[in-house]
Order: sequence, then structure tokens, then C-alpha cells
Amino acid sequence: MRNLLCMLLLPLMLCVQQTASAQVQTVSGTVVSTRDGSVLEGATVQIKGSTTGTQTDSKGNFSINASKGATIVVSFLGFTGKEYKVGDKISGITIGLVPSDNSLEEVVVALDLKRKPRELGYSTQKVLGSEIQETQRENFINGLQGRVAGLTINPTGGTAGASSSIVLRGFNSLSLSNEPLFVVDGIIMDNSTVNETSGGGSGLGLASDRPNRNNDYTNRISDINPNDIESITVLKGPEATALYGSQASSGAMLITTKKAKSNKLAVQYDDAFRVQQLTRYPDVFEGYQNGENGANANVFRYYGEPYPAGTKLIDNKKYFFKTGFSQTHNIGADFGVKKSVFRVSGSYFNQEGVVPNNNFKRINLRISNTTKIGKYIEITPSLAYVRSENDKVLRSAGGYMLGLFAYPNTYDIRKYQDDAGNKIPVFASNPNLELDNPLFNVNANPSRDETDRYTASLGININPTDWLTITGRFGYDTYRTEGYTLYHPKSFYITQALNGEQDNYWRKYNGYNHTITATAKKDFGKWSTRLMVGTMWQDYNTQMFAIVGNNLKDVTHFDSSNTAPNTRRRLLQNNLGAWNEQVTRQMAGFGEVSVGYNNLVFLNYSHRFEAASTLPKVNRNYNYPGASLSVIITDIFPELKRGTTLNYWKLRTSAASTARLNSPYSTQSVFVDNFASGGGFSYGFVNNNPNLEPEKQQTFEVGTELKLFNNILNFDATYYNTLNKGQIVEGFRLSYATGFVLNTQNAGSTRNQGFEVSADANIFNNTDFGWNVRVNFNKMWNEVVQLPANVAEYYLGDTWLYGNARGGITLHGTTTSITSYGYLRNDAGKILINPLNGLPAIDAVFRVRGDRNPDYTIGTTNTFRYKNWRLSFLWDLKVGGDVFNANKMYLTGIGKSDLTIDRYTPRVVEGILNDGKQNTANPTVNTIAVIPAYLDAYYGANGMPEEAFIEKDVNWLRLRDVSFSYQFPTTFVKKIKGVKSLGAFLTANDLILITNYTGGDPSSNGNTAAGRGVGAWGFDYGSLPTPISINFGIRASF
Amino acid sequence: MRNIKNIARCLLALGIISISSCAKKIDEAFINPNAGVKKPIETLLPGIIGNMVGSSAAAGSAYGTANDGIYIGRYVQFWATNVTGNQYDQMGGATGALDILGSVWAMHYFGMGQNLNRIIEWGTEEKKWDYVGVAHAIKAWSWLTLTNVYGEVILTEAFNTSQLTFKYNDQADVYDTVRSVCRTALSFLNQTGDGVDAQNLAKGDAYFYNGDVNKWKKFVYSVMARSFNQLSNKTTYNADSVLFYCNLAINVNSDNAYARFANTGITGTSNYFGPFRGNVGALRQAQYPVNLLTGLNSRFPGVVDPRAPYLLRQNTNGTYRGIVPNKGASGLVAADRPENYWGQGFDTVTSPTSDAKARYIFRNAAYYPIITAAEIQFMKAEAYYRKGEKPQALTAYQAGIGIAFDMLTADFNANIPPAQAITPTSKAAYLGNPVIVPSAANLKLSHIMLQKYLALYGYGSIEVWNDMRRFHYTDQEGAEQVFTDFTPPAGTDLFINNNNKLVYRARPRYNSEYLYNIAELDRLGALALDYNTKEQWFTQK
Repeated sequence: MRNLLCMLLLPLMLCVQQTASAQVQTVSGTVVSTRDGSVLEGATVQIKGSTTGTQTDSKGNFSINASKGATIVVSFLGFTGKEYKVGDKISGITIGLVPSDNSLEEVVVALDLKRKPRELGYSTQKVLGSEIQETQRENFINGLQGRVAGLTINPTGGTAGASSSIVLRGFNSLSLSNEPLFVVDGIIMDNSTVNETSGGGSGLGLASDRPNRNNDYTNRISDINPNDIESITVLKGPEATALYGSQASSGAMLITTKKAKSNKLAVQYDDAFRVQQLTRYPDVFEGYQNGENGANANVFRYYGEPYPAGTKLIDNKKYFFKTGFSQTHNIGADFGVKKSVFRVSGSYFNQEGVVPNNNFKRINLRISNTTKIGKYIEITPSLAYVRSENDKVLRSAGGYMLGLFAYPNTYDIRKYQDDAGNKIPVFASNPNLELDNPLFNVNANPSRDETDRYTASLGININPTDWLTITGRFGYDTYRTEGYTLYHPKSFYITQALNGEQDNYWRKYNGYNHTITATAKKDFGKWSTRLMVGTMWQDYNTQMFAIVGNNLKDVTHFDSSNTAPNTRRRLLQNNLGAWNEQVTRQMAGFGEVSVGYNNLVFLNYSHRFEAASTLPKVNRNYNYPGASLSVIITDIFPELKRGTTLNYWKLRTSAASTARLNSPYSTQSVFVDNFASGGGFSYGFVNNNPNLEPEKQQTFEVGTELKLFNNILNFDATYYNTLNKGQIVEGFRLSYATGFVLNTQNAGSTRNQGFEVSADANIFNNTDFGWNVRVNFNKMWNEVVQLPANVAEYYLGDTWLYGNARGGITLHGTTTSITSYGYLRNDAGKILINPLNGLPAIDAVFRVRGDRNPDYTIGTTNTFRYKNWRLSFLWDLKVGGDVFNANKMYLTGIGKSDLTIDRYTPRVVEGILNDGKQNTANPTVNTIAVIPAYLDAYYGANGMPEEAFIEKDVNWLRLRDVSFSYQFPTTFVKKIKGVKSLGAFLTANDLILITNYTGGDPSSNGNTAAGRGVGAWGFDYGSLPTPISINFGIRASF
Repeated sequence: MRNIKNIARCLLALGIISISSCAKKIDEAFINPNAGVKKPIETLLPGIIGNMVGSSAAAGSAYGTANDGIYIGRYVQFWATNVTGNQYDQMGGATGALDILGSVWAMHYFGMGQNLNRIIEWGTEEKKWDYVGVAHAIKAWSWLTLTNVYGEVILTEAFNTSQLTFKYNDQADVYDTVRSVCRTALSFLNQTGDGVDAQNLAKGDAYFYNGDVNKWKKFVYSVMARSFNQLSNKTTYNADSVLFYCNLAINVNSDNAYARFANTGITGTSNYFGPFRGNVGALRQAQYPVNLLTGLNSRFPGVVDPRAPYLLRQNTNGTYRGIVPNKGASGLVAADRPENYWGQGFDTVTSPTSDAKARYIFRNAAYYPIITAAEIQFMKAEAYYRKGEKPQALTAYQAGIGIAFDMLTADFNANIPPAQAITPTSKAAYLGNPVIVPSAANLKLSHIMLQKYLALYGYGSIEVWNDMRRFHYTDQEGAEQVFTDFTPPAGTDLFINNNNKLVYRARPRYNSEYLYNIAELDRLGALALDYNTKEQWFTQK
């Protein structure tokens, strides 16, 4: 680094000497952005080697005294600096600055407003659409990991169409959603995932009313065509909440879509072809025959005798997984007439996953327009359509993976059905009693979703005078998803008597929202002021119709008539032929006052008033404030900028409080269908609470921004602290003496803190060669600071997916803890041994035995550019954080994990006998020898409890995305008629994973993105590890 | 500038209008459109009745007496599992984070709880006194059943929806409550006029008494009788109270309190013990009832009971054999091992697709008895016996056996091979056998309790457990054990946590109490691993 600095400083020193003797004259000109030719206000214009400098005015103009031959250095935040050597021309000079990749010229902030970065009292981070597109990930969310400090993506697994949950700055709410708000061009868009839990038919979910584990549904924001994204601004903290309100209490993702750049016809096309291969898979040990306690038996456990020499073992996973293939075609066209420009884009994506029968297909169409009407008005309407089709397979507890683990390796899994299509069991006479063959599972238990989504939006900007701006954003978003899940009559997951089961549903979402703001600006001398007032209306309506039945007529038909009428159950309103419905409406009014002094100090105060339909009338109207302060230290003390080390230093702080809303209708205890003889109704499990208040969240952050070494290095650091008080805890268990099982209360508080650093270094930036490094560091920690005294543990039922481990929390523990059974220990902490059999005694109490929160994460992106070649790669490092390796526990239980290899070695489990003397001065040391092969309980939950499979401090270093591209030289391209530019690329996803985790992939989530609270990330059970993907394609414009 | 002012005025006016209309739209969206906060009380009763036995998944899987009965039935040795090492066969209590033996708890507090409260509340508003009475009747039964299983329970603080922790009350208070709720039930059931309407009541209790208020009154008297009978060890015990209520109670089989099942092919409408619900696949008849029915019990030596084909299963040898708890196949050769209750082989634990081979209470559509006339007769017999009025005791005893026979022939005749069916002759022969029906002078408590055991076989596990606990399993009358030949598990056959003591209660439901009511559990000693052996107040002297 030091050498590098010398290299950079050396030419500057030489310049100093050069300029000393020349003649001084006034040089004037304009600074513009090369991107769109717009003038740049506030750009710094300096004579190289001197302290003489000025700034451009509001029209981008500057004038400066400089001698002929002097070098003028022009710099502006978010742009690569440029040097201009003063020649004969001394006026009307136009200096074009190239935006740097991490462009910050004017960022879009909450409410689709644009602000200059220096004004902002909070951190924002922006990801360019081109970076996301480069990753070639169909769910653009998955392309964000590592690119934003404090952003965590938890994908459900590696299947096609898998959902991904996204969390900004960790978990605040224990039982409500922690997902951020998605805003596209100022319009709020839905990102829900089908929830399978319907609360006895009283809510939206499947009629079979089950936890969110065994199936998956795409999270709906992935409907967005990654290719339509111009940029994403991530608002992580108080600012999002202060202006977007309760919906954004977990932050906001502001997506700006691509707009036509001019009215000249321009067409772009690109495609990508991808192959996917599963390379990560838990270690499965194959050494022993089916059996128990050392004796062969016809069971799906492998504690029998060793395989006789020469036994041919089959690698069944080779017969199961296949090479995934997908193709994408994107087309975009810009055109227009006069002041009305259009952009039309389309995309076709078709994926066959690595798991048979797992396919995902998506078609996107979008048209947007920007029209200037008269002098003052600009409108930006858009219309988008997407259709997605997802053929799915069961996962986790009911999935193919467990079958693949458990199937005998002497048996070819391809023999899963007879000629008549019946399941062929290996051992059992009753096929329903035998774990589904993995191929049978994915072929006979199909599941599918189809979604059609339409989004219409209209933006209006009115600038009647130079001090007043009125903007309106009106959006309508609607989709309909239709789907089914079928369990074959012979499936293990259905009893024989039920003769199959089939869930059918449709779900329709209608969302309307608008935001209208009026902003007035006025400068008084050195004081600048701005007043913004606005109103927001949100109206979201989701309808669902769901039915489940048994006794299937035909396993190749998937509509609900396939089930026997007497077995059908429906959501409550569906019984009456209507749909179940969930409506959330919210009205808000807000205002923001900003005062700036001399472009050096900026103070913002905002206040938001809300009324939300989910709350009881008495608590329905609430309001909260937000404030932020930004101070440009380097401009207050310009002497700090002397030299090139420190170019810019900003300090900022902000604080805000917000509210988080309860789920609709969690204020009313309702009756659900009772299926007893005679039918009727009974109360559902939930004691809802008519007195709920909104959850109160208070956050403050302090941060700083630095630009160093001639703006080569940008550095941004933030500390935040969020207190979430009076949490609305849904599904809160108490004694059944309430008359219910689950309760809803304002109970509990959590504190969540973190430290984020992002740094960006343009280490080289020459015409031919460039090297940019970006680093995002994130460290979070959290604590449950309050829970009712009688609640020893709170957990969400969805997270209890295998054995006795779940996402439970305790008072003064972390919000990301894992609670489970473990070893019973004496007061000295020694493991206690059951004197009857020499195996450990089990502490059958859910205690905190792990924490999933990592110590820190670092995402590093390197981008190299050499002439027409470009190479970019992202390393994602996670250090610390525990993972419950349920796969391994399962494999150990059935005798297929490498822990069981030395099963014939006699051993004495180290510990103290649980004989009544365990806490005396002379406890009995265990001397009972066991040979686990003959006592296979040694490997079961009573010998190795869940605690033994919570892997501590799991680290990973992943090469998330690596992309290599080549832009054909114009000389070459010109030869092809009509083509303006042509490029080719090769992108690999998830190529390298270096980890101390002993399973397949530690990044796993046992729940879908519909799971709330902290969810079941860090629970690895029957999910598909991320496959490796290689993409190649071309990009062309015409 | 003026234009701007005008625009501002318009916007303001528009704003005010839209705010008020928005407020209305917000208000409209508050109410749950999918599910009601109020339902007709006629539609609440069927679920409550279903819950008395075993609810379906949607209303809390398996809440009710039948699921706990599977375990309690092992304590009283109705049956055992066909493998060794099962802690319930060993009289163990629930351990770990399991809700086993917590189904009655869930039935009472959740399944019935607020639903019954609403029937009472709304029924009172609607003056449907019959419904109010029935709700109280079920409530009284439920309180008594609850305390019989758990001892001290949450009584005074129950059903407070805003409380976080709940105090437990003494068992004596629960008995007082049972009787007072019974009296309230009777006062409502005696009311006529207003909204009282047998046809309307039948909408709610179609699968119980089908609108017959008089039968409900008998049900209440039966609960009263039980509550007095169960306190036989107390100095306050009054045989006349038992007799008084027995005389008013269910005295003929047609008044039997049966939960009935529509059996429409879904879980909730079928009997908990039937093959469709598949809950008793692991159970095999125990040796104790087999011996009682086949002349191998020293109280009834040499007498083969004509009820055996109804209550028991044969083996491939065509004989009746039972297993001993914690002894697996108990040394029986394969051909001697009994079929399971659905007529399949000893080793088969899965449900057959049809119940064509299942009998008695093990069929999908079988009635599930809650209280029967036979039980009342045996209570009567015991009360007379304790009063020293042996001839009257004998009459009741004899009547009890007869009624028990008749109940089987009338209501549980399905799938009995005609050759093995009870005939008037076989019944008369049995009743005429002095080994079974001795002279009044030779009648012992043992006769009464053992015949009651047989009459309640399978369905009456809680009441039989009450009896066994009253006699501390092995109490003697003179030199003779009341439950003749009953051998509780001992030594290594007794669950390790029991500390060599027999089981006297179930611990409260784990996921209700052991996570959220620790302080009270600690006060009661319920955190001890042998809490299941703590004798309840009602059986103490």
C-alpha cells in the first residue's frame, strides 16, 4: 500500500514544480456527468499542487485563476476525478466526469426522493443492477449477499424456485416478519411467500394447515426481472422507518428500474446458458448392512454386519441428481418520440434443476415510459407482467434427501415402481410404512405453482416553480398463484387409510398504494431549508381458496376433484364458496424539515402519523419522530484536506422510532371448523388480544464517511443500536388455563446492535487497466432483554423440524439461539452416565445450546478490467455462528455417518455415573465399557442428543460469483451489420466453498421465507446444498 | 402565486375528505372476515362432545380421555405393549418434553374450556336453558375427570385470558366445584319454556343424547354419584349419598352416556380406538383381564366368561392369552400370542384398511362409553356393601353384571362370530354360577370391584384407575386382596423414576405447565421425577 501511495504521490510532486512559473488567467467552464450530460453542482475544481480551488455552481459552472500549462483537477463525489491541462482555450471548457461504479452523485432515498449524499445523516448503500445481472441469478435477492454490509440472505436451499429470506441488520422481531419493504420506483411491492399455516382455516394458508417446512414457495419479489434493475438502494436503519413507517421497520430495498436513455431506437439482447452440478453432499459412510445392534435385519438402519467382501455398492445419488440446465434470454429496446421515451423489455428464463422434477420457468414483460408534458410535468407510467411456473419437490422432513440417505446402497433406487406404477417397497409389506424411495418421492409426490402477476405504476413529478416539487407515485400490484401438492396413496407420509392426499389452492393478491409528497426548498443566505409534507395510502388484500382431501382417484390429475368429497377440508370461508381474505390498510401523513448551513451541516427532522387497520381502534393512531444530522468535517476545517490523504470526512448520526404492526386479525379470538361428528365450530388455538398495541422500535446510529488518497479509498462505518420494546409476540405459549394453547401479547423486548464498515478502493483506474476492491464488513450482536418471568423459553413451532432442537430463545440470551436437548451434567459440568447401560444421561429440557449469529461476515468484491476484458469475483466470508447439523444426526442414527465407523471399538464414555453420588465429593467415575455396534442406542438421540450435533463456530469462505467477460472491439463489431456492441461472458456461482462444517452446506434454512421471526436458518435438515453453476452467454446491442 | 394558493386549498379540502373516507376503510378492514368471534351455541356442542373422547387434528390432535386412557389402561393392566421397556407398562409417568398423559388436561382447558364458557354465556343470553344445563353437566364431568387424573389442578384462576401464570387449587376444592356445577346443571336442565327445545338441543348433542334432557339429568346424577363414591377412604364418606345419586343416575343401558361417531371417513368423526385413527396398534390384551375372563383368576376360578369374545382377542390356537407388562411376548409361543384389537397378528402394529375384524370399542363407528348403567350398579353395590347391607349389595352386583352383558349384546355385537355370541342361556349360566354370584354372605368387595373392572374394560380406564388407587392396587379385605391376583410391576419392571412406588397421578401437561407455570409446580413438588407416585388427596384416608 505504501508503494502504491508513493506511485500516486510522485507525479503530483512533479506537477508542483511545473506550475510555479506560468502566467495567471481566468479559466471558466462547465462540469458535466458523462453519463447523461447533466451538470454537476458542487464539484471541486482545484489547481493541481496548490490549495487554490473552487466549486461549481448550480449550473455546473466554474471559473478559476490558473496559468497556462497548469493542471486543473476536477473531482466530485461519486465520479472518477479528471485532470485538464490548461491550453489556449480558457472559456467554455466542458469537463466530463465519468461516474465511478459506486456512484453517489444523487441517491434515491426513502419515498423516491433524491438527496445529495452529504446531506444524509444515515448510511445508504447502493448496488448497481449491472452487478446483479452479472451474477446471473434468477432470484436477484441471491445476488446481493456480500454486496451490502449488514444484509443477510438466507435461501431455503439449492432447488429451482427456492425462496430466499432477506434480513437487514439482523433480527428485531421475535414473531413478526423481519423482512424489509420492497419499493420499486416509489411503489411498494409485495414480497410474501405462501404460508402453509392457516390457523385452523381461519387465516391464509393451506387447508392442511401445516408448518412451513416440507414444501417451498418462491418469495414473490423474485418475480422482478433482474435485467430491469438499474440499481438498488438499501436503507437499513432509522431513515427507512421514519419515512416509510411500520412496513419498513426492518429496512427498505429501493429498486430503481431502467428507463429509456433517449428517444433513439436502441436494442439490447443478451442470453445465458447455465449448467448446474451438485458437488456438495454430506459425507455418507457405507460399511455395514441393514440391521440393528450388530445383527442383520430388514430395517432402514445400518447396524448390521459388515458388508461381505466383494459386495457391490451402488452410489445411488448418481442415479438421482442430474445436471441442471437453464437458459435465459433478455431483450430490451429503447425508443421514443420527442419528449416521450419508452423502454420495453422481455425475459425468458427456463431452468431444469439438479433434482428430477424440479423446474422453474419465468417470462417477464415490461414497458415503461417517461413523458414530459409542458414545462413542469413529467409522468413515468409503467406496466409489467410476469408469469412463473415452478415444478417442486418435497423437502426437509418429507423430502427426497432423507430417502437418499436411508436407502440401502445395495439397492438400485431406479427400481422404485412396478409396471403398474406402484411403489415397490424394499422390506415392508405395506408400502406406506416404508420411507419413500427418493425417485418415487420426487416423481410420485408432485407439487407445482403457477403465478401471473401484473404491476402498473404511475409516477408524476410536477415542478411548478424552482422551489416547489410535487411528486406522486401510484402503484397497483396484483397476482394470482395456483398450486397443488399431491401425496401419492403409497407415500410414507400418508397412512394407508387416507389413500393419498392432495392440497389445492389459489391465492390472489391485490395491492394498491400511493405516496404524494410536496417539497419546498428555500435558501436564506448561508442557510438552506427544505420542507416536505406527504401522505401515503396502502391497501393490501390477499385472498386464498384452499382445499385438501384424501382418497385420490387418480395420481396423474391435480385438480381438487381428484379427492373424495367426504374427506375434503377447506379454509373457513371456502366452505361457503367464498375465499378467505386478509386485508391491511394503512393511512399515513408525514413531514420532514431539513435545515442546512453553508452546505456543511445538515439537520433533518421527520415525523410520521399512521393509522393501521390491524390494530384495535384505541391503539390505532400512533406517530413517531426521526432526526438525523450530517456534518462535513473536511469542509468545516478545509485544512484537513491539505495534501491528498483526506479528501472528505463526514460524521453523521440519526435516531428514529417506529412501530411494527401485528398480523391482521390477531386482535380477535375466532372459531374454526371442528371436524367432530356433527361438525360445528370450536375456538382455534390462539388467544388473540383485543388490546394489542403496535410494537415500538427505537434505533439510533452513528457513522462516518471518509474519502482518502485522492478519493481512491471510500470508507463508511456505522454503529447502530435498536431496541424493540413491547414486542407483539404471536404464538406465545402459556398454561392452557387461559383456555387456549397460543397467546398474543405485547411481551418481551430485544436489543440488536451492530457495526458495519464498507470500503471501496479504486486501486487502479487507467484507460487500459482498472482494479477496484470493495469490502463489506458486518458484525451484529443481539439480546433478549425482556421476557415475562414465567416464560422459560419462547419458540416458533415452525423451527422445530428435527429431533428436539428448535429456534428457542430465553431471557438474556440471544435472539438467534438454538435450544435443544443435551447431555445431563453434574454440578461440576461432567457428563452424567446412566448406570444401567453406560450411555450418557439425557437432559430432556430445551436449553440454549447454540447461537447461530456469526461473529462477523466480510464480503469482498474484486473487479479487474484490462482493455476489453473484465473479471469480477465476490468472496463471502463468515466467521462463527453455530449450525444444527440435523442431517448428520439422522445419518448417525441410521448408522451412515462417519461417526459410526469405529463402532466395534470398545469404549467407556467419559463421565460420572448418575447414581445419586454424582454431586458428592466422591462421584463414581464411569467404567462401563460399551461396544456401540452391539448397543446402537449409543448413536441414537439417547446416546448422542441434539447438543452433539450443534456444530460450533462454523466458518465459511465462499466464492459466490465470479464473472469473466469480454467486449468485442468496435473494429470487429462494425463488421457485423446492425450490431453496435457485442460481448461474451462466463459466470460461475458458488464455485468454491471452504468451511469447517462437516455437512453439505452450512447455509441452509429449515423453513421457507414465509417463516417469521428468526426462522430456521442454521438448521440443516434434508435441504439441497447449493449446486455449482456455470453460465455463459453473449450481450449485444443493436 | 394565487394559483398555488388555490391548488393548496383544493388539496386541503380533498385531503380532509379522503382522510375521513380512509378512516372508514381502515375501520372496515379490522374485523376478521374469515372466521367469526361468535357462533351459534348449537354448533359449539358437537366439538365438545367429540372432545370427551378424542378430538381430531384441527381442534388439537387427540385431546380427550381416550388418548390418556391408552396409558392409564396400561397402569390398570387392561393391556400392555408387545415390546419390553415401555415406561408406561412399567407404571412410569411422562418424562421429558412430552405431552403424554396430558390429553385430559388439554381436553379440559382448551378443548372444552372457553367453548363451554361461551355456550353458558350465550345460552343464558338466549335463554336456552337446556344448552346451559348440558354445558354445566359436561363441565362437572370434565372437572372430575381432570382432578382424578392430575390431583391438584388450576381451578379458581382458570380461563382468565390475560393472566400469565396460574395458581393450583387443592383437590377437595375441585370436588366441591364438581358438585356445585352439577347442582347448577340440574337447575338449568329442570327449566322449561323460554328457548328450551328438545329438537334444538338435538342439533348440538345428536351424537350423545340427541336432545333428551332427562338423560342429561341422569348423566349429572351419575357424575354426582362418582364424586361421592370416589371418596370411600374419607371419614366424610357417606354411602347414602352415593346411593341417593345412583338411584337417580343412569340405570338402564338405553340411558348410557355414549359418545357416538358419524364415521364419515375422516379422523374427527371416527372412534379414537378404531383402525382408521390407528391409535391402539401397539396394545395387546394383558394377562390380568384374560385370566379374569377365562377362569384363571382365583376369585373366579374355572369360569369361562361369555363376554370373552367381545372384550378379548384369540390367538391362532383359538385360545385367549394375555401378556404381562414389560415382558414383551411374555414367553408365549407364537401361536399363543394374542391378535391385536383389530384382529391382526401379534406383531402387526399398523391399521388395517377396514374394521371388519375389529370388535367392541375398537371399531371405527363404535360407541365410546363415558358413563354406563353397569358402572352405576357396581357403585351401588359397593355403597350397600360398605353400609353392611349385603343383600342389597348382591342385588346391585348381580344387576351390574347383567347390564354389562346386555350392553355388549345390544350395542357391541358387531363382528362377533355367531357361535361365540352371548346367549340368554350363557348369560344365565354365568349369573347362576356361585363362583361369580355368591350368596350375600359370601359377597366380597373383591367380587364387586373385579366385575366392575370387566364391565368397564377398555373404555373406563380412568374410573378403574380410581378404584385401584382407592385400594392402593393391593389393599386387602381381611386376608384377601380386593383386586385379586393383580400384580403391579416390581423391581426392574417398575419404572426407574418411580423409586419403587406405584403410580398415583399423571403430571400436568408438559407444554402447558412445565414451561410456563414452574413456580406452582415447584410448590406442589411436581418437578420431582417421581411426582407420578404422589398419592392424591381423594384416595388418602
